[in-house]
Amino acid sequence: MSFLSKVEKVLSARELLYTLLLVAVIAPILSPIGLPIGISSRTRDVYNYIENNLKPGCHVYVEVYYEVAARGELEPALMALTKQFFDKGCKIVYGSLISTGPIVFSLMLAGAPDIFAGKEYGKDYVFLGYISGGESAAASLAKSIKGTVKVDNYGNPLETLPLMKEVDSATDFDLVVIVSSGTDTFNYYVRQWYTPYHTPLLFAALSVIAPSIEPFVGAKQAIGMIVGQRGAAEYELLVGRKGLGIASMDAQSISHLLIIVFIVLGNVVYWGMRVTSRGGGRK
Amino acid sequence: MISWEVLGAWLGAALVVWIYSFVYRDNVFYKFAEHLFVGVAAGYSISLALDSLNRVAIKPLSTNPAVSWHYVIAIILGLLMFMKYSKKYYWLARYGVGVNIAVGTALALRTTPMANIVRQITATILPLWTPDPVTTLNNWLLVLITLGGLTYFLFTIFPKKPEAGKPSLPYYVYRVLYTIGIYGMMVGFGALFANTIMTRVGFLISIYLQYLQPNAWASITAALLAAIAIIAGIVMGRSRK
Repeated sequence: MSFLSKVEKVLSARELLYTLLLVAVIAPILSPIGLPIGISSRTRDVYNYIENNLKPGCHVYVEVYYEVAARGELEPALMALTKQFFDKGCKIVYGSLISTGPIVFSLMLAGAPDIFAGKEYGKDYVFLGYISGGESAAASLAKSIKGTVKVDNYGNPLETLPLMKEVDSATDFDLVVIVSSGTDTFNYYVRQWYTPYHTPLLFAALSVIAPSIEPFVGAKQAIGMIVGQRGAAEYELLVGRKGLGIASMDAQSISHLLIIVFIVLGNVVYWGMRVTSRGGGRK
Repeated sequence: MISWEVLGAWLGAALVVWIYSFVYRDNVFYKFAEHLFVGVAAGYSISLALDSLNRVAIKPLSTNPAVSWHYVIAIILGLLMFMKYSKKYYWLARYGVGVNIAVGTALALRTTPMANIVRQITATILPLWTPDPVTTLNNWLLVLITLGGLTYFLFTIFPKKPEAGKPSLPYYVYRVLYTIGIYGMMVGFGALFANTIMTRVGFLISIYLQYLQPNAWASITAALLAAIAIIAGIVMGRSRK
């Protein structure tokens, strides 16, 4: 067995990759390195848009569409955006087209007491809860929130909440933020909120689905996109609140470096074996 | 005294190890954790769906029937879906499903041509010469890769290579665009793969930071015990064989 064949055998053992990946993730968390985080123009553009276009008293609708598993990727972005909206004096209506919405919203609320401190439920923010119906529900909410749901997540009639007296349809909102782990949700809002009502949209998406929704940003159907944990870390830096996004960047960087090393090694071994086999066959 | 938080950390850490043990091989602990997750998720979703039904339909109907009377139609159509469990009246379920599909399709079709076709096409009609060289390069890439990607998926009419003689100009143009399409898609798949790694690693990091770190020692102890249980299970399974 040649040297390259031995290397190939070692590299192809998935247990090795998984073990090294686990170490690459946990070691930087236990002992942070503090690698620098640059802010991309894409994230800065989103931040600047909110800073320049939203005025005190503005209204923002936030779609909370992710499962508990996706909290680490999306919750930091949601928290950072919420902080910026409250700092700007905006009022927020949260809603969810996914059944896990109420649980992830309550976890977000519990994890950010500093952001919600001094904010009054019903006046500064409202959570509509889970609204079933998918795209039909999104269309119905765009037309009339009060026509779609009568009570919020906690059973309070919407007409008793001061904030809900100020807003009802898509045209009443200055911005709609879709924080989602599913590609379809972005389609729903582009089709049912942006296209008929031209309400500006902002996306906060899992990294894995970012390429799928990129065409909407390219076609200016959304003002921008915050991509995964990396985008969230950048946004945390911009709004000045350190959170899980920044805390996870060392681990992300080291684990990506490991994957790159494995890809390079794998290719070197592959091409090496191919060249060797041409010059006399594999041994 | 062991608090609920510590118990939760033990359970969380054990379940994480059991679920991730699948990357080594399938085992009874993985199956237990998987079935537990599916059961809890199904139960939670059903309770949430019933709560939503109550908030959106039943409550308005019972408190203000004069305004919300038409909700009865939707409730009946929804209930009809359960008729598929009846051998005699299963055909009634088609009405509920049919109306649901019709409404969904109509709502989507109302804006899909503009949102998903027209706007996407207009976004690729770009100036190919601009004062900024980076923008110019980007625009060229976008136009060429879009054309290349579309060319790659031409399955009906395309110029074929003649069996004898020199290929025609349309054939060369087709081959160039076809190749650009392949490389463009490969770059796209590469970006998708890199983003996939970021998401999966992000899930792993967040499990540690959000669930395990608050009770670090309890989590580590439980994780070690769970790992020992898996190893013991696999060894015992092998010795039986």
